[in-house]
Amino acid sequence: MEATLQADPRGVLTGVHFIDGDHAACEGALAAGCRFVAGYPITPSTEIVERFASRIPTVGGIFIQMEDELAASIAIQGAAWGGKKVLNVTSGPGLSLMMEHLGYAFITETPCVWVDVQRGGPSTGLPTGPAQADMMQIKWGSHGDFEVIALAPNSPQECFDLAIRAFNLTETWRVPVFLMMDEVVGHMTERVDIPPAAEIEVVERKWTRKRPGEYQAYGTTAEDPVPEMIKAGDGYRVHITGLTHDERGYPNLTPAAQDRMVKRLVNKIRLNADKIVDVREDGVEGADVVVVSFGITSRVAMAAIDQARAKGAKVGSARLVITWPFPAGRIREIARRAKAIIVPEMNMGQMVLEVERAVAGATRVISLPHAGGTVHEVETILNAIMEAAR
Amino acid sequence: MSDQVSERKGKGTVFVKKEVCKGCSYCIDFCPTHALEFSHEFNAKGYHVPVLARPEDCTGCDNCGLYCPDFAIYGVRWKDIDEKRKKA
Repeated sequence: MEATLQADPRGVLTGVHFIDGDHAACEGALAAGCRFVAGYPITPSTEIVERFASRIPTVGGIFIQMEDELAASIAIQGAAWGGKKVLNVTSGPGLSLMMEHLGYAFITETPCVWVDVQRGGPSTGLPTGPAQADMMQIKWGSHGDFEVIALAPNSPQECFDLAIRAFNLTETWRVPVFLMMDEVVGHMTERVDIPPAAEIEVVERKWTRKRPGEYQAYGTTAEDPVPEMIKAGDGYRVHITGLTHDERGYPNLTPAAQDRMVKRLVNKIRLNADKIVDVREDGVEGADVVVVSFGITSRVAMAAIDQARAKGAKVGSARLVITWPFPAGRIREIARRAKAIIVPEMNMGQMVLEVERAVAGATRVISLPHAGGTVHEVETILNAIMEAAR
Repeated sequence: MSDQVSERKGKGTVFVKKEVCKGCSYCIDFCPTHALEFSHEFNAKGYHVPVLARPEDCTGCDNCGLYCPDFAIYGVRWKDIDEKRKKA
């Protein structure tokens, strides 16, 4: 379905690096072909845009510091329609300001990657402390019905790898794609291997081959719900609007058009979720207790799982590399055999709600909430595992 | 303001990353002994950075570090510096 190319070598910093997650995410974006960022600084994400600004004189591209996050989140969309791969970088308070434009990106099917380096909230919160409390905000924070894809890296290496994947997913599905980091993953320094450009696959934008006059901005078929795209300056006369529209792109404010458009947009993701979901499992088969986690918490959980296994407990790990769409089917399968599912997260219970919904009472679901500011204590997760395994 | 001073005052000192600071004044506002003040100098971005105007009042409590949104300042107690040195 998608055309894949090798990465543009100018943006690939091939080699072995010792960098933090923020820096690695920037390199992932550059490797994926991102050449326009409009940003507004916010701890703990600022290093991503600082690095982008300092790299592009050699790589080529544009960085503009905008007056605020509202401006940043819409400037990138203009650049996307100008033909560029674009990146949005912020933390919780900035994301709240960007909600309206998130909905706009969804309804206009503008490919864009949004990085949220989550920090303690709500409000100004803990600028320099981690959290994972924006998981539901990205799913429900804008008004109306919409779908997003979200990835959760748990290391600087994954910040690089999943940044590339995020760009590929947004070009494939034309929905906003979130890279949900947190202050720990963003600021921890680890080894990051960046391969040669020839080994990095990037998905090219779904450019149309139709001529002006033949091309319809939102023309789709039953088999392929993702429309083809053009860019400004190529001679196509198109109308892109946040109003409900039909396949021509022009506003069509009838209930029939609303029904067709909204259903196609949300089903683009809902009916293709099984092509997108990604759960990394370790020892789930035959496990009594399964820990479902994501992001940095998954590494703390793994330490607890190792200790529990040393004590003889049969414990598995199901790590959500992609949190949205949520892998309800797989969680349901796991729930059929496990005595308990434990969900540690750096929030007061968010992804656990999806787990509970999928499990629908088939087994015990234990939430391990944390207000944020630091990662869980290994002991907290270990105790919960041992208690559940009894 | 660094541990290279010949004569130590107070129970602690602060370390400032001058070029990271954006002059928000949280450290000055929340220092419990009012030991910090804005310097008259600017950094390269045009911001005034904090200095220990009353080093004898610094306890090394690191409240400045806790409040700084940009990791530009932190406080340390002299005895913790010495202990770390001894271990090294």
